[in-house]
Formats: sequence, structure tokens, C-alpha cells
Amino acid sequence: MNRQRLRRWFEERYDLTEIGRLAGSKLVPSHRYEIWYYTGGIALFLFVLQFITGMVLALYYVPHFEYAYKSIADIVTKLNMGWFFRSLHHWGAQLAIAALFVHLFSALLLKSYRKPREFLWLSGFILLVISIFFGLSGYLLLWDERAFAAVKVATGGAGNLPVAGHCIKAFLRGGIDVTGETLTRFYAFHVSILPLATLFLIGIHVLLVQYHGLSVPVSLEGKSRREIPFFPNLFLKDLMIWLIMLGIVVTLATLLPPEIGKIADPLAPAPENIKPEWYFLFLFQTLKLFPGEIFGLNGETVAILLISCGICFFFLIPFFDRKSAHGQRSPFFTWIGIFYTLYFIVMTFIGFLS
Amino acid sequence: MKIDYSCVTRRTFLNTLLGGWILAFGSGTLYALCKFAFPTLGKEPDFVILKASDYLEIPVNSVKPFAWGGKLGLFFKNTKGDTFALKGVCTHMECNITYKPEAMKFYCACHKGWFDETGRNIEGPPPKPLEFFDSAIEGEKLVISRKGVKIEPPKA
Amino acid sequence: MKLFIFIILFIISAKGITWAQNTIEVFPSASYDRFIIFQTLALFWIGIIGCVIIIKMKLREIERTQKMGIYKEEKTIPLLD
Ligand code: FES
Repeated sequence: MNRQRLRRWFEERYDLTEIGRLAGSKLVPSHRYEIWYYTGGIALFLFVLQFITGMVLALYYVPHFEYAYKSIADIVTKLNMGWFFRSLHHWGAQLAIAALFVHLFSALLLKSYRKPREFLWLSGFILLVISIFFGLSGYLLLWDERAFAAVKVATGGAGNLPVAGHCIKAFLRGGIDVTGETLTRFYAFHVSILPLATLFLIGIHVLLVQYHGLSVPVSLEGKSRREIPFFPNLFLKDLMIWLIMLGIVVTLATLLPPEIGKIADPLAPAPENIKPEWYFLFLFQTLKLFPGEIFGLNGETVAILLISCGICFFFLIPFFDRKSAHGQRSPFFTWIGIFYTLYFIVMTFIGFLS
Repeated sequence: MKIDYSCVTRRTFLNTLLGGWILAFGSGTLYALCKFAFPTLGKEPDFVILKASDYLEIPVNSVKPFAWGGKLGLFFKNTKGDTFALKGVCTHMECNITYKPEAMKFYCACHKGWFDETGRNIEGPPPKPLEFFDSAIEGEKLVISRKGVKIEPPKA
Repeated sequence: MKLFIFIILFIISAKGITWAQNTIEVFPSASYDRFIIFQTLALFWIGIIGCVIIIKMKLREIERTQKMGIYKEEKTIPLLD
């Protein structure tokens, strides 16, 4: 069958020219902040990469506490390129979360969350939370000493939440302690529940972007600006960035393969100097700011309560920012945005250095 | 009394009925699902029985771990030769602690918490002292139990 | 550039030290394997850069035609079958 016939075969069934016209008619605003539009694409690309590397790793991983550690050791030492794909999965995850944070803060500072894009903000935020949970659950699958202690501390922290804390903790751990049951549970989260939720939410997120079009910062709204077609111009640019991203991830994966510690042992003392993953550091540092006891209450609980309030406000920010919803400038919320961004960056750095 | 017109139209009635029915049915189904997804929780044991000869002979100023359910328990002999049993879990965020013989203190590496020989939290974030257990020797057996729990070890 | 190479070398050598204490090798230790890996990495980058350059050229071409306003294909052009 030659190309003409194939084309005709499709044309009889689908209106290809119409589809082509639709794709060609999608225009994207072009202005001096347009670079931030790429962060979402980068995150999407890294997610796809994570899905693919995750699938191949799942071919060999054994989710049982007696074999998990050994199966990873086998992947790394015995399989062809096993060390590379594990490393790639690790670095892909790190960069994906970093890209998400950049995407989040750029959306915050450019106020892309404002009316009518509230749901975009909400779905994006939930995706970030899911990704962080992805990171935590994936970390435990390694079943080494550090991962074990980190998950113990993280789930224990969730247990400090008022009212539902204990339920959440038990649900996450699958018991009162972090045990082999937790491993099974986290495996289920990591390879089935979270990926499906992610796919669903990414679908919604991307559809909403299509529906609303890309947001333009308040300061540039109303001014006449250039618009360039998404297809092929922006798509090709996206493609270039993705290729470079791929290069960076692969380079990191080859040069800095993550280490594997000693196997987890519930009865062994906690390893020295455990530090959570970098995206937890800001929480960790915040917790350190609070004394052990505040007005006779457990300091931990107070801290976690306050942090939850801060995060809730962040989550619901499109509904608080009335001014930008009406298309006016709202410098107050710009300051709030800058505060959140700086707080995150500074706390992460302090946590990193201490 | 008889009213000519019903306050509720047939339509609202049916909508409410349908909505309510679906809600009830759905929540019932969801309840079953949650019930399954939520783990059955075990409990921490009230006591454990160990072999006395393994533990009583440890050198002074040292500890020996034992399993307290799924958690770490420590059998501890201080410099004077007195023995204690305690839970080796930090009261801050449940990391396992170690004993530092040089300092004669218990240490939690997670956030650098320190406890003295009697389990008091003396430094770092831990909010509470360590939990100590009762220990008793019955012939061959070393029975370690939660403080204040009266136990009848099974005769065997 | 020199600094960059230096940093990379430093990272690699620092890794080399930690490997010594590590129980599980997370990177092939034979120098032959390592050589192949770094070679492949270099090739990979060449591939990527090549792709990027070609896409760039294509993009330029597209933008040029768009500026001339002839990006719409003529419908009536007879096709050779
Ligand atoms: S868990 Fe022991 S000091 Fe935090």
C-alpha cells in the first residue's frame, strides 16, 4: 500500500484536514515571560520518562521485604545496564519534582492561577503532592537503612496531624510499624494507584490548558502581542528542550549513580545523619524551628498544624486573590508568592547545608 | 387535615429518592472498600519471654537488643551492674536508639536526641523519657513486661 | 570550561573513593566498561546535539516561510500518483 492510498484510507474515515487545521490554529502568546511555559512541558516529558524506566524496572523488582533489597542489588550488579536504568529512574524523579516546583512557583508568580484557571492550579497542585508521595514510596522500595528510617520519620510525622493523624499513619504503614507490610503497600501505591491517578490528573490538566489556552501575565494583558502557532513552532522548540533534558538526565545518571546503603533492619539503630530527600527539607527545617513544647501542647503537632494551614492557603490561593481574578494587579499576592518561593528556596538550602 | 396540593412535587420526590438511594448505596460500597483497604492493626505486646542466660550475662555498661513485637527492645546493664529493660524507640519520631557506653547515655541519630541512663530526655528534640519495662526472672525465663501489667506467663 | 572539566573529574574521583567502602557497586568497576560507558555518553550527546541542530534549521525554515505567508498549502496543486 503506498502512502497515497494509506492517506486516502484514513481520509475516508477521519477528516484529516480538519484535524490538521485545528492543530494549526492553536496559537500561543509570545512575550518576555514565555520561557516559563516550557517548564510544564519539561515536567510532562520527565513523567513519561519515569513511566518508561519504571516499567522496565518493574520487570525485575520483587516487592517483598526479604527479597526487595537483593533484587535491586541484582538489577544493579547483574543485569545489563541495570545500574543505568535504576540511576535514570532516580535522577528522572529528582528532576521531575524539581521541574514541578519550578512550574508551580512560576505559575504562582505570574498569577496563572487566576480566574478562569482555578482548576488548573488545583489539579497541578495535587499532581505535585502525588509526585512527592511517588518519591517517598519509591524510596522505601529500595529497603535500605536510610530509606527505612526516612519513611518511619515521614509517616510518623503524618501521625502528628490532629484528629485523623493516627488513621493516616496506620493506613500508610499498613500496621502500627513500618514493616514488610508497608513495603507491599508502598509498592501498590508506587506502581498502580499513583500512576493511574497521575495519568487521570495529567489528562485533566492538559485538557484544561487546551480549553483555556495559555495564561498571559496580568501586566501584559490587553496589550497587543505576537502569537505564534503551537504547531509546529512551539512544538519543535519543546522537542529541542526535551532532548537536552534527556541528555542532562542521562549524564547525571551515568556520572552519579545513587548509592545503596545497608539492608534495612527494624531492630538496628537509626543510621547517623539521616536527611530526608531534598523536597522534604523545607518541611524538615520548619519543624526544627519549633520547640518541643508550646503552651503545654506537643510542639510537633502545633508545627504540623501551622504548616498544614500554610499549605492549605497555598492550595486555595486562586480563591483568596480576588483582585487578579478581576484582571487587576494585586501586588499583595505577588509578595505572598515571593515569600513562599523564597521560603522554600532558603529553607531547602539551609537544610541542605546543615 | 387534608391538603389539596402536596408541598412536594412528584419530580422532587423522585429526584430526592434517587439521589438519596444512590448516596446510601455508594457509601455502603465505599465503606466495604475502605474496610478492606485499612489494615487490621496489631498491638504492641504486653510482655515477651526471653532466655535468661542470653541476657543476664552481658558485660556491664552495654546493651543487648531483643524484639518487642516488631519494635526494638534493649536489655541494659549499667555500670553498677543493675539490669533494666526498655523500649529502644525514640520518643520523638520513633527512630531506633543506640547506647553510647563512653558517654553512658542513649543516643538517637535521627535528630541527635540524648537520654541519660535512667531514660530521661536530656538533650535534643525528644519530648518524653524512654519507656522502661519490668523484668522478672523465672527459672530459665526472663519475662519482660510493660510496666504495671500483671501477667500470667503460660505454663509450658 | 576548564573549571567545568575539573568539577566533573572531581565528582568522578570523589565517587571512586566512596565506591571503595560501598558494599554494592552501583557503577561497573572494570576500567574497560567505564571507558565504553563514557564513550557511549559522548556519542549520545553528539546524537542529541545533532538532533537539536537539525530541528533548529527546520524551525528557521518554517519561520521563514511563515513570514512570507505561504505556509498554507495550495489545495489545487495536482498530485502525481
Ligand atoms: S526521632 Fe529521635 S530525635 Fe527525632
